[in-house]
Amino acid sequence: MSSRPRLWSAFLAMFLAFGPPCLAEPISLLPGKAHLDGRKATQRFLVERREGNAWTSDLSDKATFSVENPKVARVSADGTVTPQGDGTTAVVAKVDGHETRAELVVSHFDVDSPWSFKNHVLPVFTKAGCNSGACHGAAAGKAGFRLTLRGYGPEIDYDVLSRQAVGRRVVKSAPAESLILLKPTGAIDHGGGTRISTDSLEYRVIAEWIADGMTRPSDADAKIVSLAVSPDAVRLSLGDRQSVVVQATYSDGRVADVTRWAKFASTDETVAKVDEDGSIKVEGRGEASVTVWYASLVGRTTVTSPSKALDPKVFATAERRNLIDVHNLAKLQSLGIPPSPDSGDAAFLRRAMLDATGTLPAAEVVEAFLIDRNPNKRAELVNRLLVSPEYVDYWAYKWSDLFLISSKRLAAPAMWAFYSAIRQSVAENVTWDKFARSIVTAKGDSQTNGLANYFVLHRDPIDLTESASMAFLGLSLTCARCHNHPMEKWTQDQYYGMANLFSRVKLKDGAAVGDVVVLPSPEGDIHHPRTGGIMPPQPLDAKALAISDRGDRREAFASWLAQKDNPYFARAIVNRVWHNFFSRGLIDPEDDLRATNPSSDEPLMNALVADFLAHHYDIKHLIRTIMGSAVYARSSVPVPGNEADIKFLSHYVVKRLPAEVLLDAMSQVSGVPTPFTGYPAGWRSLQLPDTKPESTFLDAFGRPERESTCSCERSVEPSMGQALSLLNGEVVNGKLRSDGSVVAKAIAAGMSDDAMIDRLFLSALSRRPTEAERTKLGSTLAESLAGIKDPKLIVSAKRAAIEDLYWATLTSKEFLFNH
Amino acid sequence: MFRADANKSVRFCDGLTRRDFLHAGSLATLGLGLPAFASLQARGAVAKDADVNCIMLFLVGAPSQLDTWDMKPGAPEEIRGPFKPIATKIPGLQVSEIFPRMAGQMDKVALLRGVHYEGAAVHDIGHQLMQTGRLFTGGIEYPNVGCVLSKLKGSKGDTPPNVLLPKPIGPTGGNMPHGQFAGFLGKSFDPFVLNADPNAKGFKVPDLLPPDYVTSARETRRKSLRQAIDGGVAAFESSADAKLLDANFAQAYRLMSSKTAREAFNLNSEPDAVRDRYGRTRFGQSCLLARRLIERGVRFVTVNMFETVFNEITWDIHGSAPFSPIECYKNEVGPNFDNAYSTLLEDLTQRGLLANTMVLAFGEFGRTPKINPAGGRDHHPGCWTALFAGGPIKGGQVVGASDEIGSAPKDRPVSTAEIAATIYHGLGIKLDTDLPGPQGRPIRIVDHGVEPVLELF
Repeated sequence: MSSRPRLWSAFLAMFLAFGPPCLAEPISLLPGKAHLDGRKATQRFLVERREGNAWTSDLSDKATFSVENPKVARVSADGTVTPQGDGTTAVVAKVDGHETRAELVVSHFDVDSPWSFKNHVLPVFTKAGCNSGACHGAAAGKAGFRLTLRGYGPEIDYDVLSRQAVGRRVVKSAPAESLILLKPTGAIDHGGGTRISTDSLEYRVIAEWIADGMTRPSDADAKIVSLAVSPDAVRLSLGDRQSVVVQATYSDGRVADVTRWAKFASTDETVAKVDEDGSIKVEGRGEASVTVWYASLVGRTTVTSPSKALDPKVFATAERRNLIDVHNLAKLQSLGIPPSPDSGDAAFLRRAMLDATGTLPAAEVVEAFLIDRNPNKRAELVNRLLVSPEYVDYWAYKWSDLFLISSKRLAAPAMWAFYSAIRQSVAENVTWDKFARSIVTAKGDSQTNGLANYFVLHRDPIDLTESASMAFLGLSLTCARCHNHPMEKWTQDQYYGMANLFSRVKLKDGAAVGDVVVLPSPEGDIHHPRTGGIMPPQPLDAKALAISDRGDRREAFASWLAQKDNPYFARAIVNRVWHNFFSRGLIDPEDDLRATNPSSDEPLMNALVADFLAHHYDIKHLIRTIMGSAVYARSSVPVPGNEADIKFLSHYVVKRLPAEVLLDAMSQVSGVPTPFTGYPAGWRSLQLPDTKPESTFLDAFGRPERESTCSCERSVEPSMGQALSLLNGEVVNGKLRSDGSVVAKAIAAGMSDDAMIDRLFLSALSRRPTEAERTKLGSTLAESLAGIKDPKLIVSAKRAAIEDLYWATLTSKEFLFNH
Repeated sequence: MFRADANKSVRFCDGLTRRDFLHAGSLATLGLGLPAFASLQARGAVAKDADVNCIMLFLVGAPSQLDTWDMKPGAPEEIRGPFKPIATKIPGLQVSEIFPRMAGQMDKVALLRGVHYEGAAVHDIGHQLMQTGRLFTGGIEYPNVGCVLSKLKGSKGDTPPNVLLPKPIGPTGGNMPHGQFAGFLGKSFDPFVLNADPNAKGFKVPDLLPPDYVTSARETRRKSLRQAIDGGVAAFESSADAKLLDANFAQAYRLMSSKTAREAFNLNSEPDAVRDRYGRTRFGQSCLLARRLIERGVRFVTVNMFETVFNEITWDIHGSAPFSPIECYKNEVGPNFDNAYSTLLEDLTQRGLLANTMVLAFGEFGRTPKINPAGGRDHHPGCWTALFAGGPIKGGQVVGASDEIGSAPKDRPVSTAEIAATIYHGLGIKLDTDLPGPQGRPIRIVDHGVEPVLELF
């Protein structure tokens, strides 16, 4: 590197010392500036290399730090700054001849405000694990000492410390004699072992808080409002290490370095591991998020560890049809994963029909599509599919899974009413916000308004809270029913606030047997089981309603769902729909939207959600966008360099057909419908309103029970039981043996072997056979008849041979998988 | 370690009934006369090798330690609960009155009374910890101990090495994996899942045999045609699911063509008396099936006592719907376990199989010492009891103890990682064995420094 640009950048830096980071300089300090307010404040700085817009390595260990004006602050070898006096100065870091600086302001150096119970003491307890679910944070406490889980109840904890075991747990006159210091330092026997050392800042925080008179938590304490992680994204190489700095912003405007008391976890330890101090080590290639938990807020940094850089032309020339392609190619490029080419028309047709309607294209449809020269034929196909009755069958079935429609717990007329209402919403493409509202506020006679059955299936506020959260928000709140959620931010208070939205629903018997009338009631509250009190009705993070408000609280819930800034509602349905097409949500599992479970491509997810909102929750628009992307049309055949990718959409990941789709496809190809007791002949399994009709085939292939609201109810993985079913089961064998089968008809019509092979391939595999396949299969069929003279025997031998050909096709991977 | 003392436990009391006589425990009474047994041995169908097998009875829902195997009769009423302890075959060792038959089998059983974990009291987490020894974090799913055994030892003959009865654990509230599968080892080491109720009328393994019109000539032709079609699409070469499907077909063909394998699942060849004695419940018949499978070469069988904790009477006695009331221990869940477990131990003993078959029984955590306002007990990973028997396990002993209210281990605490280490040790697997982990990195079957509970051996 020549010295000229370096000189130039140093020159610029002098002028811009306190401005934004100078782009010419390849290194920067993180955070870019800091304000130490009060004598106790400290801040650690990292030195990070930058290439273009990306942070690319942690140079803090190699850097030398200094502070311009030592009367204002001092800096340690690891970049931690402590105040010395009020004023403004700069932190300077040098690495390999490069220099960078960050503004540093110190104020109120003469104010040594005491440690805050809420903002210092409790975070120390949390980081040390004192108030974890396994220790004193357990519902029953531990060894007679009970704290609230991860410090969610500062007032309760304060009382426990200050009032119980007076003079022992906390000794004001001699803080070091306090049990809360003697125990965790191991000075006296402690079941939880040694958690903090006597020379640590943690020890000082507790000891000084006691010595300063144990300031009690109050509403005047600054509240944490946000969490920032630096760097927020970083591109590293295998084996690299990276530290992070976590800053909390408080309601009084103060920003504090809380790295030391934050908790860290990696979403993919095969890519990046993180230790207790927030030090990241890159273990493999790909992308991982390191999530940061502090005081019930969650932040994260994304660690990318790309494969070797690819020719930028690969990405520059790749097709960009819509926003999905733009974001996806940026992601693939950052990871060094090449995209596969287009799948071709035959594969696209089969894939599109299976994913959007759960049906296979008929042989004629395949032929017509393949010869059609219209350049818009794919988009037109998608439009046709979206208005087909099969589309309604398929998506009504999907939402029936979601809302647990089944005659196991509903009388048949009620089950039908519920199903018909869902079906009608799909047929009319009712926007998702309206659909949600019509369910969660349903009232009236359950047979007239089928959606009211939602309140028959989920009869109490608890069940309603949990199922509605899963269905509409992709959040599992169950843990918070009995205690604060141990892994998420949800507290038991929030849970019962949410539950109280559903506490004013009354059910009474209707005119007919099994008929129920759902009524909003002007009164009734659910009691918090621990406090016995009533939580104001409140949709999770949103504003609480007044308990005295006599309106239908469910309306408030529905309105909150449809608020554009609701962080879960649109995201949850976008992810569910995405999952339908790619067999993996951008967030995986598809209904797990925990803050600590980020999506595999956040910019793409955000763009899709914004587009979905801009189109007023229009499901068909979302589907059209997905199916219109080049990403969706990518071949399932990997190219060198993307074989291992299953997360970033570089190629279409093959997936086994869902149980019902597979069964219907077998009926369609064989020409023999599957009978369901109580349903007319020819009724497809995707048209069933119910999962109760018996079918060992559907059960073996993972049909959900519709008993609990969870995507985990459906299984799509192959198993040996499925192999046995395909080999020996009645479904495949029985259909082929039936007198009504296409096999029987083709033989009766005297169709040639070649024609039969062609037809089978078109109808089952949505393509023509290759010459090699035609020859091989043709000769096997011919061999089957060799040496048979008796015409009657020829007929039966031929029949058996064609049945076997069909069997072989219907059990082949190409048939069983969507690819 | 062969124990021939089971026959001694028979009581020839007054008014001997036919049922009692059948109880009297010769091989004949359990449905397999010695000649048949010998012939199984001669055919190699009975495990004679030194390898230790394992039956893991997973008590889904989590039994309360205080109402089962770690009673505190001296504790206040709200702690000790409604049941009374009874004496067992081992002087000084008491169990709950809900297990009268088990009391006669305690010479074979070792109790670990200080099992605990530090982590969230979520069923799914307990399932992971107890069946893999580890918590699933950072996107890594660890393998079930039975799947590790499959990976390391493969199958003995035609039967699958690892079978899960009757169904995998379903949703239990946490929306997380339950640790019953092979995780990072890959799905080809997943257990064979029965997916049928062995207590159902006319039970058989679904579709184990081809229909009679599919002759062996047709079988051959089908295979060859299928191969010709399957070469078509290159997309499947890199797909784990597609490879798994191939492996499933190969395994299915092996199972179908093996008489031993088919016999292993044939519960109908068990006399009614034997089936009655195990209990005509899904769990009871699954335990009987587990014995047949072990007898015919399966190395590891997991029996899930329940599929979920919702709307089913289980060990999960929160006291309010959709969970179970505490009374169900006495009138339903307890007897169900007592019959199946006791019979399994007797039966394995009489067949000479207990010497090389470990029988484990435990749930995912314990329950809160203090009875809750609904009259039940909630989740409590702080302390509970695990049952080890068979194989190299020294029965008739208690290892570890809980405090006076069964809330925390007082003596010899045992972590869930140590449970896994103990199972591996019992199976004869060295603890420093490495498994091929994600991205090719070796992962030890248990972390460095985790030791088995050697007092059990």
